[in-house]
Amino acid sequence: MTSESLFTAGRLRLVAAAIVVLNGFFPAAWILLTSFKPQLELVRKPITYWPREFTAQNYVQVFVEQPLATYLLNSVVVAAASTVLTLFVAAGAAYAIARLRLRHRDLILSAIIASSTFPLVTLLVPIFETMRAVGLLNTYPALILPYIVLSLPVCTLVLVSFFQSIPRDLENAAMIDGATRFGALWHVVIPLAAPGVFTAGILAFVNAWDEFLLALSLNSAARMRTLPVGIALYQGEFTFPWHIIAAALVIAIVPIAVLIALFQERVVGGLTAGGMKG
Amino acid sequence: MTTDARPPRGRTPLLERLADPGERVLALVLLAPAALLLALIVVYPIGRLVYNSFFDLRLSGGQAAPFVAFDNYVLALQDREFWGALANTALITVITVAGALVVGLGLALLANLPFRVRWPVRLALLLPWAMPLAFAGLIFAWFFNTEYGVVNDWLLRLGLYPRQWLLQPGTAFAAVCFAIIWKSSSFIGLILLAGLQMIPRSLYEAAEVDGATRWQQFRQVTLPLLMPSIVVALIFRTITALQTFDIPYTMTKGGPGHATQTLAMLIHATTIDYGDIGYGSTLAVLMFVVSMTVTALYLRQIRRD
Repeated sequence: MTSESLFTAGRLRLVAAAIVVLNGFFPAAWILLTSFKPQLELVRKPITYWPREFTAQNYVQVFVEQPLATYLLNSVVVAAASTVLTLFVAAGAAYAIARLRLRHRDLILSAIIASSTFPLVTLLVPIFETMRAVGLLNTYPALILPYIVLSLPVCTLVLVSFFQSIPRDLENAAMIDGATRFGALWHVVIPLAAPGVFTAGILAFVNAWDEFLLALSLNSAARMRTLPVGIALYQGEFTFPWHIIAAALVIAIVPIAVLIALFQERVVGGLTAGGMKG
Repeated sequence: MTTDARPPRGRTPLLERLADPGERVLALVLLAPAALLLALIVVYPIGRLVYNSFFDLRLSGGQAAPFVAFDNYVLALQDREFWGALANTALITVITVAGALVVGLGLALLANLPFRVRWPVRLALLLPWAMPLAFAGLIFAWFFNTEYGVVNDWLLRLGLYPRQWLLQPGTAFAAVCFAIIWKSSSFIGLILLAGLQMIPRSLYEAAEVDGATRWQQFRQVTLPLLMPSIVVALIFRTITALQTFDIPYTMTKGGPGHATQTLAMLIHATTIDYGDIGYGSTLAVLMFVVSMTVTALYLRQIRRD
């Protein structure tokens, strides 16, 4: 290659990177910039890209005028609780499928994965009816229980492949040393599978943090709304309160953005192993 | 393998046996929570759904709901709103699956170039995936806003006429599809990128020695080896596209009129907003059949290949 073609190859690479980065970051960057614009700047033409004037007022208003703190708390409780419970349930199932003497193990795994192909909205109607009948509408369990099932397939799949990668000898050695099977699972297998457990946990957390349809239908009372529902249902007195919504969106996106930025490789690994959500 | 590590069965005290159960028992115990949840949240609801679809069941109704046999189904097949929502869902599925596949493949090919710093590109693919669909809908509703939207601003700068994007059926539909493609293409990009990285470099080197052009390399090496990843991405994207709800709900509320109303939105409105559980269940059963048929067709195709 001549030095000239090397130069253009490097340049093309930069253009390629710019396209991918711009495509991925533009909406989030737009929201971030908008959240610092004063309300009046948003209804002025021509529209501004970089804020003409920076203000933090929107971030104050979103907590004072809107119950964003409540939505944030609800999202954290529901996502955290469903993540922890999903991990327990999925780890149990995955360990049994990957390790124990079990008839029809492939069939059992297929059945768990098949459940993720059922449209959520078709399950919504009877779930809504049942939750209503037992008085669970507008409670945390109304969302936590379905969210466990929502993330169970992908988490089980990720954990099965992690459990299978742990040498059996380690477990056997622990049991020869007098550990019970539970003991071996708890002290040897789980720590070794920690990266897998962590990956599955992130996927479950993002699933729960993002879910909209069930949250909208089952927990619609203002004090029980999660972030996506609460923000989508914001109403202004006269106009749509874009400036407040922008600040709320930033606050709602930052936790998962930080999570995936810190653990990029794990998330990508989990997604390609599980290949589920989209 | 592991049985010899355990003391003989008969002599273990009860407590020890509880702490160290046999493998079969342990397997059942460990699988029980998953089975219980699936039964409660998936199997029972589907049964309940089919049962309800034969009744005129309403949330407001006090007495026992009357059994109406197939009346709800006859009603659905004559319901223009149902057919409209079904057509919208089918169209959204075809457009956004194809669109997201093309865009996702493009993103994956670009992201697969040998960059020195990898994280910005990878994060650019992860961020749209991690962003809630409802938020993508809100943000794109703003982009397509007639007065203050980015899209019309660009059109004006290019000397073109701005449009009332979300206020007219055709453009609203296009805008919704655009937002869905943006949101879902990054996930497909991630799957395909992983597939691309598994293709051995030596294959390209061999092709180059044989004098193959870039395009020929793509056609003869990249595409065939990427096919398994493409199929996986295609299946999951199709299944989720059939369930489209969040983005049109937050962008257009299904409007103008019913121009962007999907099947999932119609079912949600019928049951949750209007409390017509019987008819909504019927619509949901029909949707379930459509979704399972598409999945089965995909699986048959895979098995044949």
